[in-house]
Amino acid sequence: MKKNRLFSLIAMALAVLMVFTACGSAATTQTIATESKSTGSVETAAVNEDASSAEPVTITYCNFNSSGGNEETLAKMVAAFEEEHPNIKVEVETIGYDDYFTQMQTRVAGGTAPDCYELNIENFAAYANKGILAEITGVDVSGLNETALGAFNVDGKQYGLPESFSNVVLIYNKDLFDQAGVAYPTNDWTQDDLQAAAEKIRALGDDIFGIWQPITYNEFFKVVAQYGGALLNEDKTEFTINSPENLAAATALVDRVLVSNVQPNAVQQGGMGDWDMFMSGRLGMIPTGIWAFQTFTDGCDFEWDIVVEPGSTQKATHFFSNCVVMNPETKYPTEVATWLAWLASSTTSADIRLEAGWDLPALKDLNALSSYLDITPPDNREAVFESLDYLVMPPVIEDYALMSDIISQKLAAAADGTITVQEALDQAQAECEAQITLD
Amino acid sequence: MTTKKKLGTLSFYVVAILLAVVALIPFLWMISTSFKSRGALMSIPIQWIPENPTWDAYIKVFSKFPFAKTIGNSLFISISYTFLTLLSSAMAAFAFAKLRFPGNQLLLGGYLATMMIPTQVTMIPLFVVMNRMGLSDTYASVIMPSIFRPFAVFMLVQQMRTIPNDFLDAARIDGANVFQVFVRVALPLCIPSLATLSITTFMESWNDYLWPLLMLSDKNKMTLPIALSTLNGQYATEYNVLMAGSLISMIPIIVIYVIAQKQFKYGMMAGGIKG
Amino acid sequence: MKKSRTEKSKHQGSGVLVASPFLLPSLIGLMVFSLIPLIISGFISLTNWNGLDQLMQPGFFQDHFIGLDNYKTILTTPEFWRTLGNTAEYIVLYIPLMLAASLLVASLLSRPRKAIGMFRIVYYIPVLTSWVAASLIWKSVLAPQYGALNGILEIFGIEGPGWLLDENWAMPAIVLVSVWKDMGFFGLILLSGIIGINRTYYEAADIDGANGWTKFTRITLPLLTPSIFYVVIVAMINSFQLFPQIMIMTGGGPNGATQVMVERIYQYGFRYFRMGYAAAFSWILFAIIMVFTAIQMKGQKRWVHYDD
Repeated sequence: MKKNRLFSLIAMALAVLMVFTACGSAATTQTIATESKSTGSVETAAVNEDASSAEPVTITYCNFNSSGGNEETLAKMVAAFEEEHPNIKVEVETIGYDDYFTQMQTRVAGGTAPDCYELNIENFAAYANKGILAEITGVDVSGLNETALGAFNVDGKQYGLPESFSNVVLIYNKDLFDQAGVAYPTNDWTQDDLQAAAEKIRALGDDIFGIWQPITYNEFFKVVAQYGGALLNEDKTEFTINSPENLAAATALVDRVLVSNVQPNAVQQGGMGDWDMFMSGRLGMIPTGIWAFQTFTDGCDFEWDIVVEPGSTQKATHFFSNCVVMNPETKYPTEVATWLAWLASSTTSADIRLEAGWDLPALKDLNALSSYLDITPPDNREAVFESLDYLVMPPVIEDYALMSDIISQKLAAAADGTITVQEALDQAQAECEAQITLD
Repeated sequence: MTTKKKLGTLSFYVVAILLAVVALIPFLWMISTSFKSRGALMSIPIQWIPENPTWDAYIKVFSKFPFAKTIGNSLFISISYTFLTLLSSAMAAFAFAKLRFPGNQLLLGGYLATMMIPTQVTMIPLFVVMNRMGLSDTYASVIMPSIFRPFAVFMLVQQMRTIPNDFLDAARIDGANVFQVFVRVALPLCIPSLATLSITTFMESWNDYLWPLLMLSDKNKMTLPIALSTLNGQYATEYNVLMAGSLISMIPIIVIYVIAQKQFKYGMMAGGIKG
Repeated sequence: MKKSRTEKSKHQGSGVLVASPFLLPSLIGLMVFSLIPLIISGFISLTNWNGLDQLMQPGFFQDHFIGLDNYKTILTTPEFWRTLGNTAEYIVLYIPLMLAASLLVASLLSRPRKAIGMFRIVYYIPVLTSWVAASLIWKSVLAPQYGALNGILEIFGIEGPGWLLDENWAMPAIVLVSVWKDMGFFGLILLSGIIGINRTYYEAADIDGANGWTKFTRITLPLLTPSIFYVVIVAMINSFQLFPQIMIMTGGGPNGATQVMVERIYQYGFRYFRMGYAAAFSWILFAIIMVFTAIQMKGQKRWVHYDD
């Protein structure tokens, strides 16, 4: 009873506010008219041939991935798409990465989100689980890489299409390997081989280090997979952060800093960025994204190459993928789905993307990418594709960002020796259990 | 006496120059980076002089966005914003400092209280309110918040309180009404503060980023910070272009600053004569 | 004198009618841009809203209402008290240092010396320098091994700390950088206060043969107290809302040593999608700042001198 009265009070106060703020407004109808929470999928019929005779429709597409140098590439793609689909006009809005998600969240909450937009994997998990994305149906996505596609599938519903794709390989400094008299890494290397090589390179000098691998959540979920562990159980109902496999993985990472010191600690690193350390010739190996190739080509005055990342009990490699999603309130679900599918999986868009040296399209059929292999360095560019055989999926849960922050923070404390590795994982497990409800 | 004076001058310049060096170091680095060919991150030791200095970054800034249009938008918004802030805040400050009405102190306290609200949480509600008022994608949505600037009101209240009441009374006895007192006596005596305020307000509005980004989705209304932010990518940032752009965007503020500084001299004279 | 004051209050006590035209524009602004969003955020703080579902839809509050749970949770987690402590550490270090630095800037700039115009511009440059550029360069200056600051300390035989990488020194490092960035801003405000001081006071002091330091402590400082008061209040409010430099320089690390309240509010609202919780957090912050400001407002009578 009491609660009801409170509600009516709040409702009344709110009504007053709404009347006040709605005065002289034309936009009101648009925002209020939207049905209550739309969680369901939007039915999307197959692309209708007759559509071309209709009035062209304009859809809005908001993205961050083309900021920082690829706006023109995206504009080219849009032009190519509009030529193929004269009935659809795409209006692009490009926003810098740092504040992209703050503004997108505000627009979604304010009811003015664009027809379709881009999300990274962290935010995708939150958006999809909160029912504010439309299922993308009625378009052919069979050409897309299945692991990447699976990452954006929640409970059997395809809420996002992987649109850009990058993975991580082990990049190494050939000159340092030569100096240390160690054979170059191969695709069958394990973590033990890596450790042995790192120690020999470390012996070359006081400020020369074997490897630099960030001890953060992003690396950790992959390394535990290499040791046969996982952060969640199979059906994602429980955290398994402090399992024995995970402990082995975390110990290996932390010991490189604290015990063998083949990896610099924060003080030894001296505030210098990891890429800059590699480019200044002070690092033997660095597992990092393939987006480093261009920078390393420009910035390294030594020979370098790449291999598939070494595993331990099994191989596991990393990928980063952004997806494109659809606003359930869009007036043109068919056209939006057509554009998104074209952007993610058409050979035309893949060609434009590769030609510009942007990231990779998430295609299953790598023949489309063959031109990519001709560019050197690195000589062993095939390793980029070979790595795709071992992709692990990040554990996509609703509170993804919170989980990753908790784990990163505990790992950092372990890496600077404040707490032991065991304590770090136990605390991370306890905090995740306390703050995150899995269902 | 003269040696003492010379010593004073010397120590003044030693302190002043030391402080200037500390103030300028990052700025010099911005300049140096803007002439680098690669968007170089930090290297240690710092590379102060670019190996192959180039204009590339500047050329890129100008070719990347419709620069004239963008600067025009930013100027229009910032100048209107600053003007409205000065006007509305000076009026309110005059009422708070020199007029008596019931609840004066309480209301001023309320103004101050609103400065204490972290904007992170009121942003979405304000966004919704603006949309309901039909202001989305209008310049007004970015300019109108200037009419309520508690920081500015507070600063001018502090300044107006130092104006002796006798000045106002004198004008009043000469037959001036309250508006004339405000315009002819109170405002001129606040010129140093108004000059300072115009610099800080212009700067804030000029650099404001998130709010215009939310409200203005039309590309033709894009402001300079929004344009510059698109240099920031997911994996890499073009630092050289970003620094070139930031340097260019500092120019108008420095110009305003120099103009406003001139007002300090008049302010000084006004204080001297009236005193 | 006394008499004229009572007279003044008579004919200036002209009430609401005279004052309202002066107040009207800013009162409208207060309503629309501050009060309404504030009230809405108050409602939000009573919900478990995730910051993504559309706000103010029919049934919004019934769906999300959870009472005072957010407040209870916040006040019982150690995280809140830790971030409050970090914020307090910042304020205690920042306010005196910033005040000293900006007084130095203001008093240097108030002198009629050659090239003073140039110095006025130079000291304002840090305010204009972008946080991105400033943080990159400061990170390098504060780097433990190769950084310039520790290099200078070494000359004097001091072994510098790890600054941003050291749990105990990260906050002092943030304070240093913030003082560097803000001294020009607050220095300018104090400068306009100094310039507003009536010249006759100094002329009288010159006749009495007072030296520079005496003039500074006996005339400049007391007459500058309204400006100093403004600077302290604004700086304190800003300090409670400390945010961009943290995000860009440490991201809250190392080991949570620089996590502060607004940083948490932002993370909860926009990274963890717990906007209700973030709203409650900011109402608590709001209340804390109010209390502190109220105390200062009451206390100002003791040390702030207005001319009238």
